[in-house]
Amino acid sequence: MAKSRGGRGAPLGRRISRRRFIQIAGAGIAGAALLEVTGCGGGGGGGGGGGEFTFSFGPDPSGSLQELVKRFNGQFEGEYTATYREMPSDTGQYFNQLQTEFQSGQSNIDLIGGDVIWPAQLAAPGYIADLSDRFPEEDQQAFLPGPIESNTYDGTIYGVPWFTDAGLLYYRTDLLEEAGLDPNTPPETWEDLKAQATEVAEATGAQNGFVFQGSNYEGCVVNGVEYIGSHRGSILDPNDSSVVTVDSPEAIAGLTTMASMVADGASPQAVANFTETESQEAFLQGNAVFIRIWPFLYGLLEDPEASTIRPEQVGVAPLPAGEGGESVAGLGGWNFMLNAASQNLDAAYEFVKFATAPEQQKFRALEGGFLPTLQELYEDQEVLDAVPVIKLAGAETLQSTVPRPISPYYSDMSLRLAEQFNGVVKGETPPEKAAATLQEQLTQIIEQGS
Amino acid sequence: MTTAQPEKKRRGVLREEFGNPERRTAYYMILPTVFIILVVAFYPILYSLVLSVTDSNINVFGSFVGLENYVNMFQNVEFREGLVNTVVYTVISVFFEFIIGLAIALAINRAFRGRGVVRAAVLVPWAFPTVISAVMWRLMFQDQVGVINYVANAIGLISEPILSDRTLLLIAAILVDVWKTTPFMALLLLAGLQTIPGDVYEAARVDGANVMQRFFRITLPLLKSAILVAVLFRTLDAYRVYDLFWAMSNREVESLSTFVYKSLRVSQLLFPTGNAAAVFIFVTAFLLALSFIKVLGMQTSTED
Amino acid sequence: MAAASASGSRGGGLNMVLFYVFLILFVLVSVAPLLWVFKMSIVVKTELFASPPTFLPQNPTAASYGTIFGDERFQKALVNSTIISGVTTVICLFFGSIAAYAIARLRFRFKSIVMTLILAISFFPGVAIIAPLFLQYRTLGLIDTYWAAIITDTVFALPLTVWILVAFFKELPRDLEEAAQVDGATTLQAFRKVIVPLAAPGEFTTAILTFIFAWNEFLFANTFLFDANTQPVTVVIPNFATVYTVDYGAQAAAAVTVTIPLVILVLIFQRRIVSGLTAGAVKG
Repeated sequence: MAKSRGGRGAPLGRRISRRRFIQIAGAGIAGAALLEVTGCGGGGGGGGGGGEFTFSFGPDPSGSLQELVKRFNGQFEGEYTATYREMPSDTGQYFNQLQTEFQSGQSNIDLIGGDVIWPAQLAAPGYIADLSDRFPEEDQQAFLPGPIESNTYDGTIYGVPWFTDAGLLYYRTDLLEEAGLDPNTPPETWEDLKAQATEVAEATGAQNGFVFQGSNYEGCVVNGVEYIGSHRGSILDPNDSSVVTVDSPEAIAGLTTMASMVADGASPQAVANFTETESQEAFLQGNAVFIRIWPFLYGLLEDPEASTIRPEQVGVAPLPAGEGGESVAGLGGWNFMLNAASQNLDAAYEFVKFATAPEQQKFRALEGGFLPTLQELYEDQEVLDAVPVIKLAGAETLQSTVPRPISPYYSDMSLRLAEQFNGVVKGETPPEKAAATLQEQLTQIIEQGS
Repeated sequence: MTTAQPEKKRRGVLREEFGNPERRTAYYMILPTVFIILVVAFYPILYSLVLSVTDSNINVFGSFVGLENYVNMFQNVEFREGLVNTVVYTVISVFFEFIIGLAIALAINRAFRGRGVVRAAVLVPWAFPTVISAVMWRLMFQDQVGVINYVANAIGLISEPILSDRTLLLIAAILVDVWKTTPFMALLLLAGLQTIPGDVYEAARVDGANVMQRFFRITLPLLKSAILVAVLFRTLDAYRVYDLFWAMSNREVESLSTFVYKSLRVSQLLFPTGNAAAVFIFVTAFLLALSFIKVLGMQTSTED
Repeated sequence: MAAASASGSRGGGLNMVLFYVFLILFVLVSVAPLLWVFKMSIVVKTELFASPPTFLPQNPTAASYGTIFGDERFQKALVNSTIISGVTTVICLFFGSIAAYAIARLRFRFKSIVMTLILAISFFPGVAIIAPLFLQYRTLGLIDTYWAAIITDTVFALPLTVWILVAFFKELPRDLEEAAQVDGATTLQAFRKVIVPLAAPGEFTTAILTFIFAWNEFLFANTFLFDANTQPVTVVIPNFATVYTVDYGAQAAAAVTVTIPLVILVLIFQRRIVSGLTAGAVKG
């Protein structure tokens, strides 16, 4: 060992230093060159002046969104240019990405195509712009009331509804007939639904009676909201969102119904880990008699590659009501919101006006089956033909929706709600306990938040 | 050959270190690595540490609250659940991965026909993209369409959907991880086996040692460094497991990292607790590594 | 475990049979899920979710492969993945080797501290440092460039690289450097010309592990890279979906497509993993 030191020590040292230095410098230069080449792609503000802006939304393989962007750019050529930035398909990841970028103080996104549960969460910290000036009350009247409500936080409007969704009941008319029931009178109460589901499944040998989404995730919250709402209960007081009302006889009745689906055998145990995918596949493979799911299912029904059953075998109806309650549909859908820190708000809002105009909403309905948010389109014959769901379920259904709790802390609430609702579906948590726990947790969240 | 005097000992040490050309070379050689890691990691770790003693939320920087977040963290049911799940998962999966990985490495080390193909096939699970892996496995475990659930049901192993039962899910996660990561262990142990010269075994055999004795007295000790690296890194990775629990169990089963993710990136109000948990993971992983190194013995000095 | 012996055992017929059975079983278990995913990529959509599941595809179709190969984003993503993984591997090997060599073979203090410091980043859960890292990269203007992913991957791969190579270099006989220096080589020359070739198995093992790690990295690529210009396959594959439905067939096809090159890579380099010292290159 001692041989490596001393002796040749000093001259070795200096020679090595120079060589190392050249190596490091060379690597540095190569690195810098590489940096130039790979470039600062899309970083920094989007466009800036010149009417260029970036619009974010999830993937759209159908191509109707790209078409929309192209039309806009064509119509406003020279004035405004929209660039579509594809975000993660998973809505939770999309939201996380937005938050990460906004927290860092700078995002290249000017216009957000956002989920219906985001406005309050993004408005409270001031990430999205107040649209009261651009989108006044008179204009708001033309849209469906549910989506407008979901875009309102603290009395101010923060988003413009783009397309909407509502929970619906689909059922196999042919199986009902086979079992001797009238396919034109779907069940109107949850008790009826359970009875029919069990009866028909037994008579026809179908694998499952009624399937819905009960896994521990956002979709389960919508299901829960529907059960509670259909028994005239609510999670937050509709008039004052700082009051928690989930621990009430009505809500408990709703949760009891939700639990009874599996308990009484109408639904398989596995619904406790079903998301849209699993439940829709059970139905499309012909293995379920009833399903609660969003309107997009109808598009899949019409596609012979995606479904083994045909649209003629399927009926659509509003969701059942609870005892002494009413039929409600959980609200879904996507809206336009503007990045408050953007420099291109005018340009971005032009796109909003363009995309929410009757012509473009109709185009998206005809091309992709996206439900419009303008009231007038629900009387347009072409739209009704292109989106059979509207006619089958009844246009009123799609207009009478109930939103999930609107709160800046909805993410926290959603975690708690999903957990308890999932416990209820599994039969692990009695409805009274779930309601009491939620009352406590949600109250704490609201207190902590303010 | 130090020139340091007692009072100037510290300065003497530094001068001894940097004055010596060989040592200087050594420092230049480790510099880039240490530099990159420190620069990139320093700020984030500091960030988490600072936030963990404040009551900030995701948008607003809060005020100092001492150890309150840590107390909350230990009182949080989900955190405790995550801790238990993570420890169980780590111990069991690393254990099996080590045993099976060693067996594979020993087997592949011999010359036999088709060795190359076997080596490549062995690496398939490790190469399989993680992002799809969790989702695909979930589909395979799924109640109605999953092949594994179907087979397990058919042979009477289970009576309820795998994805609905927390214990079964944990077992499933362990199985998936063993499948995926054993190749990693096998590869590292194989590389270690390669450094053992054949003549050592020859000599031992000539001396009459049998297979077991050769294994325990020669192979294992000579493999110590490779074992240390393999088991240490695998343990650290398993301890920080996130993907498998979040995507495959769809939030049913909690791990330490899913708790951190949930608190930091999904929830707004659990943010301070999440940071505390992140620091907790950091500290415990650090202690874990130290104990490994102590037990398995990392020789960093060049004397022999 | 009777097969445990580095020099061909003379255990006889039963031993060999057991050995091969064990091997075949192992290969099957390793490859079975990939075969299942392959089946998912060639079945018709309706069969994907057949209940109960089918074992052999009823109407095999290449539609899913058509989808992914017709997708420009996917093609660009393959290139991006290769660049990111390749550069990460090269940087890791370069800096990691010289650091490992210094730790393993040269004398200096603070070795334990350095080794532990290098390991430090592996103690931290990735999900916890996304936000601060994002801020850092944003400040440096590296967001949405390859470098954000490359630097992050490098930092997370360096610990393993260094530790493996330290273990490796330590196994090499002591006299190597001395022999080289007797011939007039400097420390670095000795390193380059003598040590590196002999440590090839370690280097290749590390290279493969690092490449695969960077190739499969998702969390950071998803957050730091914004569009098709830079996104690797791990980010693009889950986006074969809409906000409502997921195209599992396409994702399965993509999974198969990105795994095959890795396996081929290993097939090519697997000899390098094992060539080396057992050949008795260095005799005392």
